[in-house]
Amino acid sequence: MDRFIDNIERLAALFIGIVAADVFITVVLRAFGISIPDSYNLGQNLLGILIFWGIAATSYRGTHITVDLVWANVGPRWQRAIDVFATLVLLFVVVVQTYTLFDKTLSTYASNLQTVELRLPVWPFFAVAWLGDVSAVMLIAVRTYRLVFRPELMAKQAQAVKVVE
Amino acid sequence: MSSDIVAVIGFVVLFALMLLRVPVGMAMGLVGVAGFGYLSGSGPALKIVGHTSMRTVTDWNFAVVPLFLLMGSFATTSGMSRELFRAANALLGHLRGGLGIATIAACGGFAAICGSSVATAATFSRVAYPEMRRFGYPQSFATGVIAAGGTLGVMIPPSTVLAVYGLITEQDIGKLFVAGIVPGLIAVLMYMATIALIGQAFQGYLPAGERTPWGERLSAMRDIWATLLLFLFVIGGIYGGLFTATEAAGMGAGGAFLLGIARRRLSGKDIRRSLLEATRTTAAVFTVLIGAILFGYFLTITQTPQKVTEFLTGLGLGRYGVLALIMVMYLVLGCLMDALAMIILTVPIIFPVIKELGFDPIWFGVIIVMTVELGLIHPPVGMNIFVIKSVVEDVKISTIFYGVLPFIITDLLRLVLLISFPILALWLPSKM
Repeated sequence: MDRFIDNIERLAALFIGIVAADVFITVVLRAFGISIPDSYNLGQNLLGILIFWGIAATSYRGTHITVDLVWANVGPRWQRAIDVFATLVLLFVVVVQTYTLFDKTLSTYASNLQTVELRLPVWPFFAVAWLGDVSAVMLIAVRTYRLVFRPELMAKQAQAVKVVE
Repeated sequence: MSSDIVAVIGFVVLFALMLLRVPVGMAMGLVGVAGFGYLSGSGPALKIVGHTSMRTVTDWNFAVVPLFLLMGSFATTSGMSRELFRAANALLGHLRGGLGIATIAACGGFAAICGSSVATAATFSRVAYPEMRRFGYPQSFATGVIAAGGTLGVMIPPSTVLAVYGLITEQDIGKLFVAGIVPGLIAVLMYMATIALIGQAFQGYLPAGERTPWGERLSAMRDIWATLLLFLFVIGGIYGGLFTATEAAGMGAGGAFLLGIARRRLSGKDIRRSLLEATRTTAAVFTVLIGAILFGYFLTITQTPQKVTEFLTGLGLGRYGVLALIMVMYLVLGCLMDALAMIILTVPIIFPVIKELGFDPIWFGVIIVMTVELGLIHPPVGMNIFVIKSVVEDVKISTIFYGVLPFIITDLLRLVLLISFPILALWLPSKM
């Protein structure tokens, strides 16, 4: 499981590198009067993919921006209860988001939306981004299970994230 | 139920969820959609979730955030902070309080290529803290200097917080960055003056470091060419109209990467680490952005910004009185929330008030960033304090807060200065 999550995060990280390379190369080539077809459209769709896959990994690792004032001032039992509650709310929100994103992907497919220059269909990009949100649902479900039944695994993983940071 | 009551309930639930550690963006999204759904029906509410989420993550203007984060990550992992500290220390370290002054100078230099306050504080906790302790600096002062120096990361451009403010308020990010230069330099000078004054007032409290021979000083100065080049390339490109802010961010990330490779400071492992760090922060920031835009629908349907504007302008406090009230609110919120989350949550409500009062939106961007920057170091939350604590484990949180007190006073003085003389922020952008 941890290897799967690492791979998700690496995939998102790869996309951020591609987006940066896209901008860099586009600007450099512009100086020579050359343009990459659809660099703008490809960049924005890759950005969407990287963010949803990134959110999947971030949700599992619990590294979202949070207000820790109460959490930091209660004992371990209450901390765990707060974590379980927060993760359940997160799961609910991401499930709703995934459902509505599926609808958005379907409507984009139906409208045959295309990129400006290469006329590539946009819906496959949306579908890959949506898969990131599906992964987020699965990973948050795993996080919830582990917080409730295997808390020692989450503590180990939190330590690992801290070491990387 | 009237929309006013729904709005009040919405805010109460939002704060309750946030205090129960629900991610800020998710709490905003949930309350925003639930409130919007209550007032206009669940069908339209669900429709905006998918549409807004996809529109936000594919908005090219928002690419400025991950790309500047990536540039900062490359700069950090390729050791530019260490070079800056070495150069600053070689030049200033022999003065009384010189190591503290050198830390501030290096933080200022690093802030010019890294838009993150947390990254600046974390980096200098590793680089400058051991050196200050080696020369006998008190633990409280050494950590206080780093906490304050870290705040320069959000003030001196490129700044992630200023970029997000620009995106929310639809202001020119390039102008905002340029507006941050003079206030950022004033911040550096005022922090340095504070350290020098403390060094003079309390003999022996901040011992002088070793005097570095001129040969070594010149050698240390030569090492910082890459940092200077990167800053001039990015900010010069924006100022000169060569790049948009998003392009500048991409060029900065690409430039930091190429400089790291050319100088053999970035290994394959470092590159992976930089990409991962930028991805994690990007995901966290975009979650808040999506949530804020969903929450924005709720604010619009309940007409909260208009009502807050009417209320505040009707208090009869005058424009500076209202501004002072807003500043106090931000200082209080800074006790609870992260700087970025605070900006994203509150600016859509406060910005119409600022426009109504006739304040310049670029100037207000600088003022608001300076105010939330204070929240990074003042008790009880102070994000930079916790970052330093996570690196320097043997120091107490209260010790760091004690050390940072003189710099909080300096920050408040600087805020008064910038409010009294808006030209300090607006002069450079007026030349663009």
